[in-house]
Amino acid sequence: MLSASLKIAGKDLRLCLRGAQGLAQTALLGLLIIFVFSLSRKPGEEVPALAAAAIFWLSTLFSQVLVFSGLYALEEGNGARMGLAMAPIAPQAVWLGKALAGLTLVLACQLVFGVAVAAFLGQSVSGSMPLALGCVVVVDVGLVALGSLMGALASGKTSRESLLTVIFFPLIIPVLLAGIRVLEGVILGGEGLDSSLDWLGLAGAFAAVFSAAALVLFPFIYTGEE
Amino acid sequence: MTAVLAALAAVALCVAQWFIWVYAPVEQSMGVVQKIFYIHLPLAWWALGSFFVVFVASVLMLVKKDNRWDRLAGASCELGVLFSGLALITGSLWGKPIWNVWWTWDPRLTTTLIMWFVYSAYLILRQSGAGGERGPVVRAALGVVAFLDVPLVFYSARKWRSIHPTVFGSQGGGLEPEMLTTILVSIAAVGLFWAALLSLRSRQLGQGAALRHVFLHQTR
Repeated sequence: MLSASLKIAGKDLRLCLRGAQGLAQTALLGLLIIFVFSLSRKPGEEVPALAAAAIFWLSTLFSQVLVFSGLYALEEGNGARMGLAMAPIAPQAVWLGKALAGLTLVLACQLVFGVAVAAFLGQSVSGSMPLALGCVVVVDVGLVALGSLMGALASGKTSRESLLTVIFFPLIIPVLLAGIRVLEGVILGGEGLDSSLDWLGLAGAFAAVFSAAALVLFPFIYTGEE
Repeated sequence: MTAVLAALAAVALCVAQWFIWVYAPVEQSMGVVQKIFYIHLPLAWWALGSFFVVFVASVLMLVKKDNRWDRLAGASCELGVLFSGLALITGSLWGKPIWNVWWTWDPRLTTTLIMWFVYSAYLILRQSGAGGERGPVVRAALGVVAFLDVPLVFYSARKWRSIHPTVFGSQGGGLEPEMLTTILVSIAAVGLFWAALLSLRSRQLGQGAALRHVFLHQTR
């Protein structure tokens, strides 16, 4: 299953990055969100770490909706979804492949958002950088586990993005809260970091629950039928 | 079945009103505002019950592939969204005079609100006709995912709040025996009303599906 997933992820990444239009659009949307939120403060006024963390994850969420609706839209033309559904692989490999491709794309966007949050909102990482990256990746795993499942659920409709947003956002709230707290701890460093690292457990539990749910439910959702 | 349940619910709701306004004493510190509690709590409980029915019906839909379960899940979800919405509104009406705010970051409040969002999205997905002919299975998958989210939402909301000091002490605890009786009568009455609505709405959805079936076969 893993090799099939990697092949699907590779194929999706090649298709998405060809011309880089999709990724550029996604990153641009996130940047715009960060910029617009920076207007909520008067010039020179400091943005609290918690608010900056929330803005970072909000940008991530919006870009993730675009990423997954784009990834599942790749197979919408010419009956390609039927082809993928009929391929002699476990259906879950499609979920995992899309999740891996989505994780890569979201991480690429987050690199841009990280710089933007530092520049527009005047934030810097007080704790260790590798720890910060590790925390973001753990939260991202939970996000893409559910994102890949919900992307399949909303696929094949013209109102894909709007439908995906409205289903995905409320479900993702537990891991979003975890992400905000963890990132706040990483920005503040010191004592704040210890208490916020507790939240990583919740992010891990979220990733585990929805990965397990996706393994069971994905074959029901993803089929070749129109 | 529906008519019997509806008749029973009508009588029970009247009886519950007598218990609420005549039998139960007026609470000392909160006064008459506390009476909202007798309608708020049953609504919240039966909303949670509805969401559990959505989950069970969704699992049965996935296993048995019978559209009847999809219709039950749909009917139950509509009731859940309605009842939890009303519970949020009645809670807010109670909170303003007692807590002096319309809204506070309480785990139960937050969980109810997020569940209201999730199940409203489920209803929108139903209306949008996502999944085409496989719609019932797609919706069932969302019904399962939504219910798995409940404990995570509750836990995260509690954890989020625990960082900040709480302004309001934990309420509840000892209820007067008369109040306890009243709340139990209210729960039972609203439960009958809920069952009547669920039965009616499932039947309506079933008849709608049957009509569509006949129409599709005649036009072919």
